[in-house]
Amino acid sequence: MTLDNMIEMINSELDNEMVFSIKNNSKTILFYKIKRTIKRVTLYVFLIIMAIIMFIPLWSGIIAAFKSQAELSLTSPLLPSLSPTLDPLTAAMNELMRPMLNSYLFTFMATIGSCLIGSICGFVLTKLKFKGSNIVFLFLIIGIFLPYQSIIIPLFITIRDLGLYDSLWGMTVVHIIYGIPITTLLFRSYYENIPDNLLNAAKVDGAGIMTIYRRIILPLSPLPFVVAAVFQFTTIWNDYLFALILTGSDFEPASFALSNLAGGTETAWNNTMAGALLYSLPIIFIFIFLGKYLMQGLIAGAIKG
Amino acid sequence: MKALKKEHWNTNKSILININGIPKTKWIMKSIFARDKFIIRLIFIISCILIIYFVYFFIVWNVIVSLTGWEGLVQTYDFIGLENYSQMSQDYVFWTSLLNNFIFMGIFIPSSIILGLLLAIILDQKVKREGFFRLIYLLPYALSFVVTAYLWQWMFTSDGVLNILIDAIVPGTIEISWLGNRYLALVSISIAMIWQFSGYVMLVFLAGIRSVPPSIIMAARIDGASGFKLYTRIIIPQIKTSAFTAFVILMIFTLKAFDFIYLLTGGGPGYGTYILPIMMYEEAFAKNQFAYSSTIATTLLIVVMMITIPYLYITYRKRDNQK
Repeated sequence: MTLDNMIEMINSELDNEMVFSIKNNSKTILFYKIKRTIKRVTLYVFLIIMAIIMFIPLWSGIIAAFKSQAELSLTSPLLPSLSPTLDPLTAAMNELMRPMLNSYLFTFMATIGSCLIGSICGFVLTKLKFKGSNIVFLFLIIGIFLPYQSIIIPLFITIRDLGLYDSLWGMTVVHIIYGIPITTLLFRSYYENIPDNLLNAAKVDGAGIMTIYRRIILPLSPLPFVVAAVFQFTTIWNDYLFALILTGSDFEPASFALSNLAGGTETAWNNTMAGALLYSLPIIFIFIFLGKYLMQGLIAGAIKG
Repeated sequence: MKALKKEHWNTNKSILININGIPKTKWIMKSIFARDKFIIRLIFIISCILIIYFVYFFIVWNVIVSLTGWEGLVQTYDFIGLENYSQMSQDYVFWTSLLNNFIFMGIFIPSSIILGLLLAIILDQKVKREGFFRLIYLLPYALSFVVTAYLWQWMFTSDGVLNILIDAIVPGTIEISWLGNRYLALVSISIAMIWQFSGYVMLVFLAGIRSVPPSIIMAARIDGASGFKLYTRIIIPQIKTSAFTAFVILMIFTLKAFDFIYLLTGGGPGYGTYILPIMMYEEAFAKNQFAYSSTIATTLLIVVMMITIPYLYITYRKRDNQK
């Protein structure tokens, strides 16, 4: 039995709260049992109520996406439709088809690009340390906290002058560059834990840096790659500010198209909600199947906005 | 993980034997390696240059623009000194926006930290299906602000979910105009943001609680601390770092929040929810007052950096000291 197991055992025993105070008194045991049950029940009631509160807006949005315009104004926003219709979804699909494709393209490209660059930067900053590499790191990651408003005017001018305004490459390049700080941070914190001896041994045996990177570092880093990719995908897919400023009508990303769909003179709520649902599908998909990795990315010093 | 490492040891060795076994190719390989070393460093240097250009140079550029009198679409660089800044200091809209920023901060940050902490503590009670609850609470945070903005616009409509729920609890109340009232609008936005962020705060706190050494908790339990006391006396003081992180992250978020409020209210009604990022955007891209807009952006940057730089300094100095 290891020490950890022992600690765990003692812990679970202490959990019962009876250890200290009970001396074979069945009445006291019963009292504690009832008290404990009440505690647990209130705990779960609270958890479930919170879960319902958290889910109500989503629920109301999802059911609105399946109602016709007439039904929307008649029924309660909390009750599902009696005669669900797919019309809002098809209407939203028509509007969002092309923008979604655009979004997929630059999101995939920028995710892959920023992950590769972040991996190399993280590798250089941990395993090829040079004088002042920690300061360089700090200078890189200040970009995570940067309010984009303070660079948006120069960025707009630069992208326009490069001829990248309203194009696939413009969005890809911008998202790669502003993704470098966070991916570097994620990869660096992972590579820090790979023992230097592993690399030194390979070095002694004559392996070059590229070999070390390709044969040792890369095979050891599927985890940070998934974490960084999931994180970057959500961030880039959800972005609105860059889409608003760097694109027009030729290369509309989905977030921008959705705001156009909703921002008409009179909002058709069922179409808007259907569009929002379509637009959120990849995120919900990632969240359900890769939520664990997204959480790791979020904990590792992530920030949104 | 161990198996992985072992495997790569082996493959690596076999390659190296090959290299050592054929001396002729050794120097060729070596020179390629030397070039490879160059390639990796080159990619690193290029990305550093990109960051220097796209972050630091742009910041300087933005400050320079703020010192000019650039109005309208054609860019001009006629230096007018700090005139924009003095104009800003007399601008009623600027002070309103700044005040709104701070009111938003004052409502949103304490509420989401308290709610997040509460959720984290309750999820820490060895509940069943913890993963499921964690996912549900965190789901709003993963969604785009574009989506949540329209969801909440829908929630806030006059016959929307919120009014229906309030009517069900207290029948006969008048319909609340959540976004139409200039004083209530900021509170409504805070409610929506608390909904979106409390799951994230919970996650940060949960990670903090889980990293408290079990020996400390055990010692406290042996000394008789349990339940409420265990948390207030032992665990909460231990997760100061998480609280600090959550606080800084939320603070920076409230300063640069744009998407959500812009889409939900557009800054209205009146200047009720006008905050600095929205003002900056409107000045530049709606009124073409680029110089004035970059003045606001510079101010915003200074405020954010006043929070960020001490935070990074404290975090990384602490971490380096621990090693």
